Amino acid sequence: MAPPAQSQRSPSPSQPSGKSEVSDLKLQLRQLAGSRAPGVDDSKRELFKKVISYMTVGIDVSSLFGEMVMCSATSDIVLKKMCYLYVGNYAKVNPDLALLTINFLQRDCNDEDPMIRGLALRSLCSLRVANFVEYLVGPLGSGLKDSNSYVRMVAVIGVLKLYHISASTCVDADFPSILKHLMLNDSDTQVVANCLSALQEIWSAEASTSEEASREREALISKPVIYYLLNRIREFSEWAQCLVLELVTKYVPSDSSEIFDIMNLLEDRLQHANGAVVLATIKVFLHLTLSMTDVHQQVYERIKAPLLTLVSSGSPEQSYAVLSHLHLLVMRAPYIFSSDYKHFYCQYNEPSYVKRLKLEMLTAVANESNTYEIVTELCEYAANVDIPIARESIRAVGKIALQQYDVNAIVDRLLQFLEMEKDYVTAEALVLVKDLLRKYPQWSHDCIAVVGNISSKNVQEPKAKAALIWMLGEYSQDMQDAPYILESLVENWDEEHSAEVRLHLLTAVMKCFFKRPPETQNALGTALAAGIADFHQDVHDRALFYYRILQYNVSVAERVVNPPKQAVSVFADTQSSEIKDRIFDEFNSLSVVYQKPSYMFTDKEHRGPFEFSDELGNLSIGGEAADNVVSAQRVEENDKDLLLTTSEKEETRGSSNNGSAYTAPYDGSSTSVFALQTHIESAISNPTAADHSPQASLAIDDLLGLGLPAAPAPPSPQLKLNTTAALDPSTFQHKWRQLPVALSQEYSVSPQGVAALTAPQALLRHMQSHSIHCIASGGQSPNFKFFFFAQKAEEASNYLVECIISTSSAKAQIKIKADDQSTSQAFSTLFQSALSKFGIP
Amino acid sequence: MPVAASAIYFLNLRGDVLINRLYRDDVGGNMVDAFRMHIMQTKELGTCPVRQIGGCSFFYMRISNVYIVIVVSSNANVACAFKFVVEAVALFKSYFGGAFDEDAIRNNFVLIYELLDEIMDFGYPQNLSPEILKLYITQEGVRSPFSSKPSDRPVPNATLQVTGAVGWRREGLVYKKNEVFLDIVESVNLLMSSKGSVLRCDVTGKILMKCFLSGMPDLKLGLNDKIGLEKESQLKSRPTKSGKTIELDDVTFHQCVNLTRFNSEKTVSFVPPDGEFELMKYRITEGVNLPFRVLPTIKELGRTRMEVNVKVKSVFGAKMFALGVVIKIPVPKQTAKTSFQVTSGRAKYNAAIDCLVWKIRKFPGQTEPTLSAEVELISTMAEKKSWTRPPIQMEFQVPMFTASGLRVRFLKVWEKSGYNTVEWVRYITKAGSYEIRC
Repeated sequence: MAPPAQSQRSPSPSQPSGKSEVSDLKLQLRQLAGSRAPGVDDSKRELFKKVISYMTVGIDVSSLFGEMVMCSATSDIVLKKMCYLYVGNYAKVNPDLALLTINFLQRDCNDEDPMIRGLALRSLCSLRVANFVEYLVGPLGSGLKDSNSYVRMVAVIGVLKLYHISASTCVDADFPSILKHLMLNDSDTQVVANCLSALQEIWSAEASTSEEASREREALISKPVIYYLLNRIREFSEWAQCLVLELVTKYVPSDSSEIFDIMNLLEDRLQHANGAVVLATIKVFLHLTLSMTDVHQQVYERIKAPLLTLVSSGSPEQSYAVLSHLHLLVMRAPYIFSSDYKHFYCQYNEPSYVKRLKLEMLTAVANESNTYEIVTELCEYAANVDIPIARESIRAVGKIALQQYDVNAIVDRLLQFLEMEKDYVTAEALVLVKDLLRKYPQWSHDCIAVVGNISSKNVQEPKAKAALIWMLGEYSQDMQDAPYILESLVENWDEEHSAEVRLHLLTAVMKCFFKRPPETQNALGTALAAGIADFHQDVHDRALFYYRILQYNVSVAERVVNPPKQAVSVFADTQSSEIKDRIFDEFNSLSVVYQKPSYMFTDKEHRGPFEFSDELGNLSIGGEAADNVVSAQRVEENDKDLLLTTSEKEETRGSSNNGSAYTAPYDGSSTSVFALQTHIESAISNPTAADHSPQASLAIDDLLGLGLPAAPAPPSPQLKLNTTAALDPSTFQHKWRQLPVALSQEYSVSPQGVAALTAPQALLRHMQSHSIHCIASGGQSPNFKFFFFAQKAEEASNYLVECIISTSSAKAQIKIKADDQSTSQAFSTLFQSALSKFGIP
Repeated sequence: MPVAASAIYFLNLRGDVLINRLYRDDVGGNMVDAFRMHIMQTKELGTCPVRQIGGCSFFYMRISNVYIVIVVSSNANVACAFKFVVEAVALFKSYFGGAFDEDAIRNNFVLIYELLDEIMDFGYPQNLSPEILKLYITQEGVRSPFSSKPSDRPVPNATLQVTGAVGWRREGLVYKKNEVFLDIVESVNLLMSSKGSVLRCDVTGKILMKCFLSGMPDLKLGLNDKIGLEKESQLKSRPTKSGKTIELDDVTFHQCVNLTRFNSEKTVSFVPPDGEFELMKYRITEGVNLPFRVLPTIKELGRTRMEVNVKVKSVFGAKMFALGVVIKIPVPKQTAKTSFQVTSGRAKYNAAIDCLVWKIRKFPGQTEPTLSAEVELISTMAEKKSWTRPPIQMEFQVPMFTASGLRVRFLKVWEKSGYNTVEWVRYITKAGSYEIRC
């Protein structure tokens, strides 16, 4: 039969109504309904097909409900199936009409043909109408006891469906315990597997409310059940094997001999053709041996071959799924895979998502013996047509350089990149050379010679330009032309669109000035003037700050802007080991592909406030525009989420550098390589400065006050806070309990504030610069909680604040308690203005 | 923790829904719109087969001109989901007889609905074995095997098979002539540097079987792989015969192979499914015989001229020959004119893929045809970037040759009725990704 082509070709949501066709069908169905003429089934079939095809395309054929039900009295199984499909599709929207079908479905549930019994039962449970649950219990009960395994298999899943419609009905009918009995006794493995899935779902959901259910859930991973399932594992279908193996990972064996028994039993699963089974087995092995270090190593060796086979077979999508897992293992134990690096070479036609993972793995497995080959291979990719991949490979070379001891050859390669005269290659290479110099200052001589030859006109990307400028500033004594290159850059100040570059330029000119004052003086003057006139707040602030500090004392300025630096020994890891372990625990799931633990993408509060809901789903064509907007917003939300996590990483990285590597915290230029935004901010309000010279920090505060014409509501003048307030936690606690709440308010936090609040520490530093100190903080994105305190400057009168900030709703809830209630309003204003400046650079 | 799929969609390239099946209520009905908007209509398409939109994750795969999308709302098992799609497509193909594309779906949508109902229930994969499903879902929709009416063909013990343990073969098969066809198909992957050194090389092979055997036969396959031979000589306490032994890096088997026996005795024994199936897959990295060597020299003569010389050497036996040899030699985008000389086959310039395509239909062993070409380029003023040379790619098939050297030593068939069988064995080596940098 030919499906109605013309209607299908039109875009699916906005179908032509197809009204006339539908009423036509209605008429024809009605004629056939009562007929018993021979061949009537065939014509019915044609009609049903038409109805289903309309339904698929999105034409509303619900008006045919009555006729369809009338025609369903047939012994033809295909007709029945089509009818069930139709009913299942429209029952939810037409519960009244659906009631009509209950009767014939119930009758079919008692048919003598087990196939029909099963189908009817499945359809009955798929109606998903809450009012019908009473009709389900009977057929399900008898279905579970059916002599035919097909019917039992359907009935078991039926129980799960019932549970989702009405949990109480399902539990009251005692279905879970029947399933448990079936699971342990049924001869058919698919029935057993379905029981297992159903019970896992039901008991996990019930466990939060019922202690018995949580006990039952525990019982699923008890020794008898696990052993029973393991002994039958070869009988299970491949999908059911995955299920069982996943369950086994949760089992805790009592001793090591048990562990070896299980591994011996499951070893042949590693040869299964289904990659999912192999991955599930690998998970079992890895988790069982976590506490046995040497065996764990051996497991890695054992699973290497099957994993590599899976990667090289199957569709790109499948191998991507496996590769993500291999990637995780390589990252955990790179040395085990270091001899297999050739497997991670990219093929020319591979999709970029595969190449990207491979590049990361190549980087990870590089060691003394294979670095040369790997770097040679990576250099090949640098000329790749796929520019993002080419960039990644250059970055990979850089990463290898940073993790190796013998970087001699790599430096040469990087310098070759600089000579390749491709914009993006030069750009990436510049950034890398800069990082390299920060770790290995001894290479400066070789690098600077090459870098000096690069015309700044050929470098357009902000990151690369910033790197080049940083090097010009840092090594201006070694580069003959440095002051003049900087000068020409300063002259083109207005054409420089990136604030990041302008910031770097300021710092570089300053540094150059300390080293070669006569040649740079001019440029410095121009730069500071341009910087102070700059519309960008950060640039303006930095220029003004440099200007003032130069005015104050040039040698202090040099100490602050260009202190002697130690080489960076270790660049901080981007992901905490805790998160990595979480991901490892969730091996063989999406977490590994997304490279984040599941709570980050399945928990509601992490997804942001926008959700797909049924209402949205039911919006008709007219609503599509609205739908557009909402989803777009959500994407933004997601993006922001991403942004938050990366900048969070940078934050931790940045602060660790600050703490360990740099002696003076004010070298904005080198820290801003990491997290510009947060760092400028911390540079301005840095607590260390406040510690050793309170005067200076006050001056900065003042200066900021002057320099922030756009800042809302200057702090109320009457209330001065003590900058060095102190309060010990027990006193705080005591006071908090004693004092009444003076004020309770909700502020909204600016978007910049939300963006900057990646970790509690960021806010703490900021508030401290406003003389509001934190005594305790906690929470994780999106909800943070802080306890602050402040003291009046002249007297020992305390203010206590509880502040809960939700970044998802951008709201801050504040409770203020005060020794002196009369000034609490003034303090609140102060607090609010301080908070409102947070994140605004 | 549920790992169930919430919905499956089949879309055409424009994003129209061909067929969909919602298994669970935990995702909204507009999932497909989200997919269209955030994946199909953006550059994201093809950048990653797993994407998260809203609270849902989308797994998608393109097969001919159809996108198959699985939507899940929880932390699902990715490998399982993709395998499910692949298996489902294989199942559909076995029903439609070959092609799986938009038209096939449109023409068989009722059948696909039926199958979607059977292969997955409430998001959990059920039975995907074509052998079993074909017992009760047929293209013509004949009546159920359980029907009380006398059916025209005997299907003994079908209930067991619908869900049962020996999922891959039904009883009571009868063939007049008992035949087994066995194909060893290998694909060679090669990455060679411009200096002619092998950077990476491996062989992925599979053994495909077609069985037309009566009853419940037991088959045993012997290969010249190292482990199997060693074990055998151990058991028979007889020294191994001289000759090449192959070391398999890794092997996976069809579910019919008795893995316990493989692990203890290192023999491949199995009760085969009826008809066509893939018996095993293997991977080899050591001792690969490359069937072809490619020696390119590409010279850029100034800004507008290039000289290309490619010599291809066949290094397999002189009595054998390769079929369908295609060598794709990349040239720059701004190629204006090309002229060739080839000692064998035909060459032409294909502007769509920026390649010189050299085809040799029949390529005997131990020969070395050459191509020499002159390429004229349009000189462009703005062209300051040098040309990045993609690798030369090669396609070929060499019958009766295995790059790994793997051979079938014996294939034994036992059946209690003791009939005679005819066994056919073929070998073929194909190019996987055969790349030579130049």
